[in-house]
Amino acid sequence: MTPAQERLGRMLAIVPWIAANDGPRVADVCRRFNLTERELVADLELLFLCGVHPFTPDTLIDVDIADGRVWIRFADWFRRPLRLTPPEGLALVSAGATLLAVPGSDPDGALSRALAKLETVLGVAADDAVDVQLGPVAPSILDAVRDGEHRRRKLQLDYYTFGRDDHTRRVVQPWRVFNAAGQWYLEGWCEAAEGHRLFRVDRISAATVLDQPAPEPPAGSGPPAVFQPGPDDPVVVLDLDPDVHWIAEAYPNEGVEARDRSVLRVRLRSAGRAWLERLLLRAGPHASVVEGDTSVGRDAARRVLARYTSADGGGKRDRSAGLGGRPGSAPSRD
Amino acid sequence: MSRIERLVNLTAALIDAERPLTREELRERVGGYSDDPVAFRRNFERDKDLLRQVGMPVTTEVIDQDRPESALGYRIRRDDYELPDPGLDDDELAALRLATSAVQVDGADEATTTALRKLAGAPGTPATGTAAPPAAGVARVETASLPGGPHAATVFGAVAARRRIEFTYRGQRRTVDPWRLSYRNGQWYLSGYDHGRHDARLFRLDRIEGTVDAVGEPGAFDRPADGATGPAAAWQIGDDEARTVELLVDAPQAAWARSSLGEDAVREVNADGSVRFEVSVTNRAALRSFVLGMLEHAEILGPPDVRAEMVAWLQAIGAS
Repeated sequence: MTPAQERLGRMLAIVPWIAANDGPRVADVCRRFNLTERELVADLELLFLCGVHPFTPDTLIDVDIADGRVWIRFADWFRRPLRLTPPEGLALVSAGATLLAVPGSDPDGALSRALAKLETVLGVAADDAVDVQLGPVAPSILDAVRDGEHRRRKLQLDYYTFGRDDHTRRVVQPWRVFNAAGQWYLEGWCEAAEGHRLFRVDRISAATVLDQPAPEPPAGSGPPAVFQPGPDDPVVVLDLDPDVHWIAEAYPNEGVEARDRSVLRVRLRSAGRAWLERLLLRAGPHASVVEGDTSVGRDAARRVLARYTSADGGGKRDRSAGLGGRPGSAPSRD
Repeated sequence: MSRIERLVNLTAALIDAERPLTREELRERVGGYSDDPVAFRRNFERDKDLLRQVGMPVTTEVIDQDRPESALGYRIRRDDYELPDPGLDDDELAALRLATSAVQVDGADEATTTALRKLAGAPGTPATGTAAPPAAGVARVETASLPGGPHAATVFGAVAARRRIEFTYRGQRRTVDPWRLSYRNGQWYLSGYDHGRHDARLFRLDRIEGTVDAVGEPGAFDRPADGATGPAAAWQIGDDEARTVELLVDAPQAAWARSSLGEDAVREVNADGSVRFEVSVTNRAALRSFVLGMLEHAEILGPPDVRAEMVAWLQAIGAS
């Protein structure tokens, strides 16, 4: 937005409000519109010269500033602010709908009422136009994690480590709880690992707020990248068919090179063996490992395949015999 | 006369106009333009563009309907310009402000600021409110961040106005009645009626190629009362024939699978803690990715052909 657009927009929003309120205090106007008094006075001095043909006193905007208050008259053209633009409407509705989608928000609270009232200015009910879901999470776990963050208490978590396909119990000092890329995350200090960690809340199977104070989070740490492999993670180089070129966009990589018209060669840092197994299973025959452990995808595929091809099968006909237990010979875990 | 004065005067003149005014009439009424005709035309066009860029509905009309070659006239109709009063109470305005500071929508900071400014000034707002914006320098507390992208606002505008849109998607031109925007799995989706396919469809906004163009008039269609719900999950966003697929998930992954698939999908909880699900699927590749994400802790039980597809997929990897 250019300075001229910004200033015009601001003036045309302020004028109707001052005109409709009988002599508001200059300080209140400044606070409400987030302006310095100097900026406001400069805007008002300029308006004083504006109006329509023939610019006689009754066709010029009349501005009075006295005793710390301000009056505007003869500004009937600007008796209302300009309508919201689509980006403005979307900004309000998406922020409001997102906060309402946070488990535990009040469906009858001020925010819901505000969004409902915006229908008159948007021409559409907010929840008809925009629908936000922030990712699956158990409300009780999210509550516990947010409570620990809010009250600065350590948390005990039962956590599933995706990269290692492993369940562990650990104590975490919570720093921040947030939603990004459609998932809930807890950022904090993991005492077991003695390191700064990011936990996906949907992979926490139990969370307890401990009666132990947690230190303040370090200042100035911005939101971390949600997926950030470390320099010690092993490198893998993949050739990708067009069906799986998305892999080059979906993960931070250390170089992409077009091998020919259809094959991309991408260098990735793997965030653990199970992480790489999933990537290769999903990519299927459309990705091949050209550098790194070439057996990872094959071994994982055989392990999963064992579920489908074992002698007594995992098929539903066997199971519906209703013995309760799960038949088949899935490999043991841990 | 400064440019900003001229812009305020031009806006006032366009709103004040009871009929469309020609460029020359506006030059007289607004004042402050150059005497040089070329410089005047250039500055007038620039001013008019700026008003439209901030969202003013400046209309262009042929002055004499019977003579299409006659001069063009311009004006702003009040009904199109004025923000209706939503009648927000101070606590409601404060709640909106809080929402915009807790939720970071990529690229929307400027629009958020200007939107709140317009609402804070809506008539009827008491002069001494509690809705002042947070003081400068106070860190914003972020609860959520959402992507923005170039298409979301255009599509939202078309949804609100019920205006048909056209865009290129997967290499094909689509004509769509936009029903609703949905945020799922970290992505924005549009649900709507695809005229080329004669059916409801879902589109991922970040996969739209080029621009989204509004075509035709506002109010061109009715939004279905119940059909406008967004996608529940990736495996329901696709053109595959709808199938009900049966899954078995082992105990350690069962809680996570339940929250992803929804309680409605649960068919049976076994003694060992494993859970059997039934899921409606229109995108089998997405379902395959979901199931493989659980490695050997989950399997597709049926129908047989869907199970066989998974086996063939795994065999292709194992053999490679």
